[in-house]
Amino acid sequence: MNAQALYRARLYRWLALLMLLPLIALAADDPGAGKRLQIGVTLHPYYSFVANIVGDRADVVPLIPAEANPHNYQPQPDDITRAMKLDALVVNGIGHDEWAREIVKAAGRQDTLPLIQANAAVALIPIGGDQDGLKVVNPHTFVSTTAAIQQVFEITRRLSELDPRNASVYRHNALAYAGRIRAMRAQYMSRFAALDLTQFRCATTHAGYDYLLQEFGLFVTAVIEPRHGVAPTARQLANTLDTIKNANVRVLFAEKNFSLDLAKPIEDATGVKVFALSHITGSAYSAEEYENAMRENLETLTAAVEYTQP
Amino acid sequence: MNTPNPPTLTRIRPRSGRGETLMLLMVTLAVLLSVAGYLAWRPERGGPPTPLSWQVRSFDGLGPVDQAIHSALLPAGEEIIWNNDDTGEWISLERAQKMLLPPFYRDGFWRSNGEVHWQLVLPGTHLGHQNPEASHAADAAPTSEVSQATQGQGATVYYGSGGHAPGQSAYLLVIGHAHAGVMWANQATIWIHSNPNAPYPAIVKAESLVGEGWRQVIPYDGSRELERVQGTPP
Repeated sequence: MNAQALYRARLYRWLALLMLLPLIALAADDPGAGKRLQIGVTLHPYYSFVANIVGDRADVVPLIPAEANPHNYQPQPDDITRAMKLDALVVNGIGHDEWAREIVKAAGRQDTLPLIQANAAVALIPIGGDQDGLKVVNPHTFVSTTAAIQQVFEITRRLSELDPRNASVYRHNALAYAGRIRAMRAQYMSRFAALDLTQFRCATTHAGYDYLLQEFGLFVTAVIEPRHGVAPTARQLANTLDTIKNANVRVLFAEKNFSLDLAKPIEDATGVKVFALSHITGSAYSAEEYENAMRENLETLTAAVEYTQP
Repeated sequence: MNTPNPPTLTRIRPRSGRGETLMLLMVTLAVLLSVAGYLAWRPERGGPPTPLSWQVRSFDGLGPVDQAIHSALLPAGEEIIWNNDDTGEWISLERAQKMLLPPFYRDGFWRSNGEVHWQLVLPGTHLGHQNPEASHAADAAPTSEVSQATQGQGATVYYGSGGHAPGQSAYLLVIGHAHAGVMWANQATIWIHSNPNAPYPAIVKAESLVGEGWRQVIPYDGSRELERVQGTPP
């Protein structure tokens, strides 16, 4: 090869490299291109929400084991390991998953892990019944359909910011999921149409169902637990029993996955009928879990209102 | 005989006598100023936002029916905006029925929350988009009045009136002007009027609404609650 040919070959190589430089630079702008997001969730409903939003475009990673009770959960080393690998974490933020902050901190991710506050845009309502004259925020926004849809939209909005390439897919999936939730609600609303709600009075052991009842035009007369997860004193229980009797409450909603130790004596003392609603905590995470649990809740709610009909 | 010398009194001033008094005064003043400064500029604790005179809090300022309708309007507004981003169209009340979209969908929720009559007031055409099934007195509102109402403002409004639940209000879901190409640009605000039959406002800008007795509903949302419980969110 003569010197001129050698020079030409070198020139072509440099030109090719120069042409590739913009492509290399563009690729460097998006370090996450092509990467599937690992989206952590703290509670069962959020697994279902995120799984339905992302479809096959990202992975949903439960932060804690499925069978763990979030009300009194103590973080474990495996949780910290999982938190280290996440790209985002979806939290309730206003109750039930305070331990998530400890896990994120222990994983050293407090400055690098985006937290998606599912309730960021949900209009919170106070716990029903008498709370010593206080307006206490009810954090059970996921035991509902309307507030659940609002959370699905908020999660979608934040995920779309984190993963703009899949934003339109996320939004399409979220709207379809919201449509399914609304169709389920409508099915039970049509059964409610024939019922008289004016005389319906209920009490609950756990202050978890205000959002759900609000959607059906129902309200809680009394809550047995004076605070979230706190058993009543003898005096408080006696006062609540008086309220139940005086208000002619005929239905008591207890928590399906909690002990009925508190509900049974109240049933005996007041004659209320106990119905069990779900907090949506189960033994396995799944995309369908929220819809299955809510269908059961709506079935139970309808049965309770039907029970009170003259 | 020697008389004893009278005792001599020598007043000894501490070397920093005047300074000590001054220092004490200065320290006292500094403490007072510090306390006053802290009280004046201490970080406000979170909690339900303090409403201005023309606002009302959804958390503790609304009755149960208004609260339920407000809770339903929030996600409905989001879905309406998304739909507009995707299609350029506004969800009509007929379509809201097919979509089962509360609070417009006439189901048990609608019935138990006063059977509010909703109208869609579109931008540009300025025509009251009325539900053909409606049979309320508000239907009689002349279209020309509605037409003039949003002229030139570019806002889309879902107007609810005629509810008959005790203590019920009239409602406005006002979706502001969208900036083309900006995904999340649309903003919705919710307003109520203590008169459930309040007429559609002449102008849907905030200052005019306030003048006509409308009040903006400010939600106590999860981000506020997080601030209250845990400090500034990440």
